[in-house]
Amino acid sequence: MRSLVPIALLLSCAISAVAASKPIAKMQLPCPAYYQTLSPDGTQLVVSCRDMSMVVLSVPEGKTLRTIPVESKAYSAAYSSDGKWLAIGYQGGSVEVTSTKGTASAQRWQGGPRRIDLLSFLPDGKTLVVGPSDEAVRVWSFSETPRLVATLPFEFGGASAAEASPDGKLLVIAGGDTAVRFYDTATWQKTSENRDFLLESFALQFTPDGKQVLVGGADARITVLDAATAKQVKQLPADGGSYIVGLAMLGDKHSAATVYLDDAGHKPPHAVVWDLASGKSSTLGDGVVPTCGEKVAGKLWMCSADGKTLTVSQYD
Amino acid sequence: MKLNRRELLERCAAFGAVTLASSVSLPALAAAWDEAERKKTTPHSELGPFFKRDAPHDTVLRKPGDAGMPMALSGVVYDTRGEVVPDAKIDIWHTDNAGFYDIDGYRFRTQLIPGPKGAYAIDSVVPGHYPSRVCQHVHYLVTAPGHKPLITQMYFATDPVFDGDPAKNYTRDPLCGSIDLVRPVMIKSDGNQMVAAVTFDLVMERA
Repeated sequence: MRSLVPIALLLSCAISAVAASKPIAKMQLPCPAYYQTLSPDGTQLVVSCRDMSMVVLSVPEGKTLRTIPVESKAYSAAYSSDGKWLAIGYQGGSVEVTSTKGTASAQRWQGGPRRIDLLSFLPDGKTLVVGPSDEAVRVWSFSETPRLVATLPFEFGGASAAEASPDGKLLVIAGGDTAVRFYDTATWQKTSENRDFLLESFALQFTPDGKQVLVGGADARITVLDAATAKQVKQLPADGGSYIVGLAMLGDKHSAATVYLDDAGHKPPHAVVWDLASGKSSTLGDGVVPTCGEKVAGKLWMCSADGKTLTVSQYD
Repeated sequence: MKLNRRELLERCAAFGAVTLASSVSLPALAAAWDEAERKKTTPHSELGPFFKRDAPHDTVLRKPGDAGMPMALSGVVYDTRGEVVPDAKIDIWHTDNAGFYDIDGYRFRTQLIPGPKGAYAIDSVVPGHYPSRVCQHVHYLVTAPGHKPLITQMYFATDPVFDGDPAKNYTRDPLCGSIDLVRPVMIKSDGNQMVAAVTFDLVMERA
């Protein structure tokens, strides 16, 4: 993290402000943890421990599938959108991609020159976006021997968030230099950029139609950008004192959930749902502080951890 | 007229001030001299999430009534050959004495243009600790044409976290990757008050 935790990865998916939650699984938290990464099919969960070890758990069984020891210092993890692959980024800049079903041998290579803070798969399941700390993004094709297909530089700093459009044709990256840039994934040419942000952005989310992108970060507000021009479409009020570290469109397609974290640790995390049209907000009602989120079979699944127990719940 | 190292050696040799052994060439000697005087690039320490673009060009960040010990922070921007880096810009930012970054405004944030000798100096306060960071620290972002951006942080040898032995204990902050980033603190008096004086030179790598 960036300085503290890889907050751009803290939450990448949806949470729901509505309805009751139904526990899917409860398990013992294997370590003091910052955040978890849930696989898209809901069968696996990566727990990122504060000591930079990682534990991969089976959600249905609650048992440990794999432990990456603290000596390896794993800093980032991501599942491909089809759930077939798990990528893990390490301290020294290496990246490992493993088959979640055990159907292919693992590949490990030097994905960047420095600690890997960010990983994101393109929807094709063959291309991995790798963000080393304070370095240019490297885009790798790993369908065969890993091959570097693009290097996407910043004025300074590294990537703090990356998100592919639903059709996979655009990639948007938020940089430590505070710019938000769009790339054509066929040519890896930059198509547009927005340099109006004074502060860094940590969360990006395309709208379902792929025409707009929600941006959230240290300014504690949602900014909506046009995906074709990168120009600002609208900006919602700020919820000061914390950062947006995760955001997602909800199923109604006009609301967005945001998760706020004070990276300095002065304020507790909280979640807010915003109506994008009216700019009105409501705090997530049940007081749960989500530590992961994913859409699983069309339902919203969230994790929460109380220090000892990890709960995965489904929100209707 | 400023001579480069090789030109200086050539003139010295021409005037007999330097006598070269037959096995040593002038370029080799110049290269060895360069190597001996080469400065080590300032170690990287990450940007962190609190950088804010377009900071004002203030050198006095401390205002009357600000809590915390006054801090006089200064240094010079060099390249690895020990020469002043022209046209550098230095962004410096840190927390207030209570450990809070100013997100809404620009308190304890500045962008400096060093003078012709590469020197910079600010008056501020010693930053505080905050819950998710181990050590007190000051952030730097240095950019200059023809050089790689330098992103780093400066730490205080007097930080209680180091228990008086920063050489042994600097890794207590996992982001402090080098003892070179931990700087001694001189307590001085400016006549009115005690000031923590810290020198932190910055060495940039050519692009």
